[in-house]
Amino acid sequence: MPPRNKKHKDIIKKIRLVMKTISDEVLIQKKIPELEIAKIGYDNTIWSEKKKMLTIGEKKVVVSPNSTKKIPTFAQYLVMANAVRKLLDEEMESTIRGMYYATLSSVGDDRNKEKFWKGQEDSDDAIKAIELITGTPREEFSVTSKPKGMISGPITLSVGGDTIDCNLGSRATSQLIPTNTLDVEITDVKANFVMVVEKDTVLNNIRKSGFIQKYKAILMTGSGEPDRATRIMVKKLSEDWKLPVVVFADADPWGLGIALRYKIGSESLSYDSDRLVTPRVKVLGMMFSDIYEYNIPEVARLAASQEDINRANDMKKKPWLQESQWQKELDLFLKKKEKCELDAFFKHGFKYLAEVYLPRKLQDAGVI
Amino acid sequence: MKSSTTLELKYHEKRKKNYNFSNNNIDNKKVKIKYNKKAESEFFVDNSALAGFTGERILYMAIRELIENSLDSCEANHILPEIRIELKHIDQENDLWSISCTDNGVGIPSEKVPVAVCSFLTSGKYVEKQQRGLFGVGLKMIAAFSTKDTDTPIKIWSKDLEEMVEYYHELRTDISTNKPIILEKNVVPDSDSIIKHNHGFKISATLRARLSPITKNKINDYVTQSSIVNPYADITFENDDGKITFERRTEKMPEPAKEVLPHPAEMDLQTLKKAILNFRNQKTTIQGVLSNSFQKLSNEKAKEIINRTDIKNKPADQYVEQELIKIVNICKHTKFQSPNTDHLSPIGEQILTAGMMSEYTIVNNKEQNISKNEGNGKNINLKILKPAMTSYSSRSTVINNRPTIIECGIAYGGDISSFKLYRFANKIPLLYDEGSDVAREVVSEVNINKMGITKKDAKEQFAQGQNNLKSDRVAEILPIHIFFHICSTKIPYKSAGKESIASEGDMKRYMKYCLSDLYRKVSAQIRKDLKIKEAENRLRLYKFYIPLISEAISDTLDINIEKLNQAFNYVAEKHVKKERMHEEQSLDTEENSNNSGKKILKERKKQNLILESNRHKKIHKEEKKEKKSKVSKTLRKNFEKPTLFDFEIR
Repeated sequence: MPPRNKKHKDIIKKIRLVMKTISDEVLIQKKIPELEIAKIGYDNTIWSEKKKMLTIGEKKVVVSPNSTKKIPTFAQYLVMANAVRKLLDEEMESTIRGMYYATLSSVGDDRNKEKFWKGQEDSDDAIKAIELITGTPREEFSVTSKPKGMISGPITLSVGGDTIDCNLGSRATSQLIPTNTLDVEITDVKANFVMVVEKDTVLNNIRKSGFIQKYKAILMTGSGEPDRATRIMVKKLSEDWKLPVVVFADADPWGLGIALRYKIGSESLSYDSDRLVTPRVKVLGMMFSDIYEYNIPEVARLAASQEDINRANDMKKKPWLQESQWQKELDLFLKKKEKCELDAFFKHGFKYLAEVYLPRKLQDAGVI
Repeated sequence: MKSSTTLELKYHEKRKKNYNFSNNNIDNKKVKIKYNKKAESEFFVDNSALAGFTGERILYMAIRELIENSLDSCEANHILPEIRIELKHIDQENDLWSISCTDNGVGIPSEKVPVAVCSFLTSGKYVEKQQRGLFGVGLKMIAAFSTKDTDTPIKIWSKDLEEMVEYYHELRTDISTNKPIILEKNVVPDSDSIIKHNHGFKISATLRARLSPITKNKINDYVTQSSIVNPYADITFENDDGKITFERRTEKMPEPAKEVLPHPAEMDLQTLKKAILNFRNQKTTIQGVLSNSFQKLSNEKAKEIINRTDIKNKPADQYVEQELIKIVNICKHTKFQSPNTDHLSPIGEQILTAGMMSEYTIVNNKEQNISKNEGNGKNINLKILKPAMTSYSSRSTVINNRPTIIECGIAYGGDISSFKLYRFANKIPLLYDEGSDVAREVVSEVNINKMGITKKDAKEQFAQGQNNLKSDRVAEILPIHIFFHICSTKIPYKSAGKESIASEGDMKRYMKYCLSDLYRKVSAQIRKDLKIKEAENRLRLYKFYIPLISEAISDTLDINIEKLNQAFNYVAEKHVKKERMHEEQSLDTEENSNNSGKKILKERKKQNLILESNRHKKIHKEEKKEKKSKVSKTLRKNFEKPTLFDFEIR
């Protein structure tokens, strides 16, 4: 695969350049080296009205071994950069957990022994830093995470040359969405639309009901917070295959947040939004108003926590939720202080969700 | 009428019930209540908790009383105390302990020894001045308990300052009459003399008591802490674990407390009557009695008070109670000068500092090497903690009409490894109930964070290895010992146990002032140490992490790792050094600006007058500078002139 190798060579080159700059600072300029990295987080995330997604701002952080706190961080980034370089040199792949283990060590003498990483979060952060330093998503340097997203329906994938048909006849299982996204190619799609739900339990219920066959739909889930592979898959289906994509999540601020990951992106991955976000996604449900419209019985409703309320108040101010429909929904939630999971429809019967609620919603939206 | 009979009936029924338990025969008989007078000794033995002598604490209290008596006896005549205390378990089976205490104090005249040792509420301490101990109870308690529980007499050797003859007594207490029983009394011949000095006192008693490890530690703590506030005393303590000596660290003793007249604000019918009684044979007028019996009450003031009562001036003993109470009431509403503090004896800066500078602690090496030390009974040792710096502050105030002196000391760094709070009342260590003491509140409420010492820094530099930090408060992470000493003739104790002090009146406010003073004084040093520690820490981190960084770089670039390592280490060291130099410089300039603070201020004022409005910006800047120098000036003031007793009585 020559194109991939070329990409790898570019990444290695970038890492070498960073290392060279640092060694020059130390060896020639004789000064404490510095690494400038784009800042990640809410205070460097900007809503782009043009792109309709969250993008990263101009802010930078300087990581330099000039304080007690930053000496370990600086070392961690460099050790991780070297590990990535090695991985690419050896033409291997790894998960983020694999990278954690590959770089595991302890520092200090017998009296003061510390772990190089406090936990995998530290090494995950270092990998993110390498993405920012090299300007490439980690999938492109063959570091992936454990697959988490699932897909079912009339779609055929080619993963590194192997064909995977996701239209599993048995209705009994779904396909995990591969995380080595560079190797994944969509070869054939025979669906009318894509429906993403928040949780795998809900996906299983819908699949079992024959929804896929009846409506020629592709069902997907990120199993909660969607990973990058799932977001990329959604984007490809929407933009490359021109399929309408709808999202259903629980009727609570948390669920709404997850649905919005697909549509506008997230603060922690704002630097990679162009690759991950699908602004054309339609968030159809579950609306707070659906709780009352579909008579979800009181026992199946949950009381909103203070955290939920704070989150909803926060959301009300967000520029991407200024449409009157969303404002009305959030106001309703803040008034009633009740939330509800998609699973609550099972109280109306096991097939209610797939055979009544979803079709009605899809019809209203003009998807079917 | 009716109701009262029913009440009476109920009362009788209750009594009947009570008696049913003990004796059924009494059933319908009328019970006559006997009114007896109880001897003081009997009362105190029955209510020993009043004096703190309860089960576990008997030995602790006994040691306490003896040390306090000895110290008082020495201090009264400005004698450098030399005290030896011994506590030995002599009969394991019957829980018998021998306790003895020898001092070089003024002793007790031979005539008075029996009552002074055995008769409750007999004391030479019933005067208005600061003293330790419970007046006239402690020693008697030991005697009574010894009589009650053992058949061994109390042995006393006493050489009175004036008699210069050593007497030996063997005594027991007649608990039912509060009178001493003298079993033996004789002059000790020089050849058998126990008292080595020209004066002194020794008591030896046997007590039945249990001693838990906790109380044993409390006794150790008590002796140690006593040595901190009495560094002029030479105290030897011997128990079954061994013998330790707290050496004298200063020859200076606090000014002894003087006896003073009561303050008129505290006058009541009783004190007034007593005062009149003192003049009964002299035909003195009430005006004379008042001005001679109370402080801050001049003849004119007395006259003014009498005039306001509208009672004719007549000899004092002809006043009836009604008239006297009138005088008392007027006094209560009259403003007097604040009471004087001659009757108080604070520790003072020099002495407390001597105590703090070499703080003794008892090291128990029993656990470590039993086999090695078993034979010779040398299982305890003394270790001297020398802090890097100490500081002292004090305030005077009036609490409950009594002048009160608050002293506070702080010892920081050096051998001190963690936070500790010490509390003293009239030079007595308080060991129990720290949680409810006002000092605890003061420590919680005065923030050292304001002095530029952050929790984060303190934790990073001082809390390493201390995983189970009890508190999150910055001060309690730092290696400091805080000492509070409250002096007053009436300490506002929280409970009868006299182990914690309540926050009464302005007490807390003044304690806070003291502690803030001290924090201000030590914080510069702490900040400096934090910086140094941070630098050390950073160098250590560089040592650990540079090899990893170099390895990563040399691995990728294929360059010489040794060379890179060397260069990196050089850069890192240079960086740390440079930063340190920079800090020292800034400290220096801070000091310089302190010295010339006043000058700068004047110059600035002059300049400001000349400056024109278009240079507004510059003025603003300089004003800022001024503010800075003002702040550091006050800092310096406090440092230079450690206020001894700035009488801030209001």
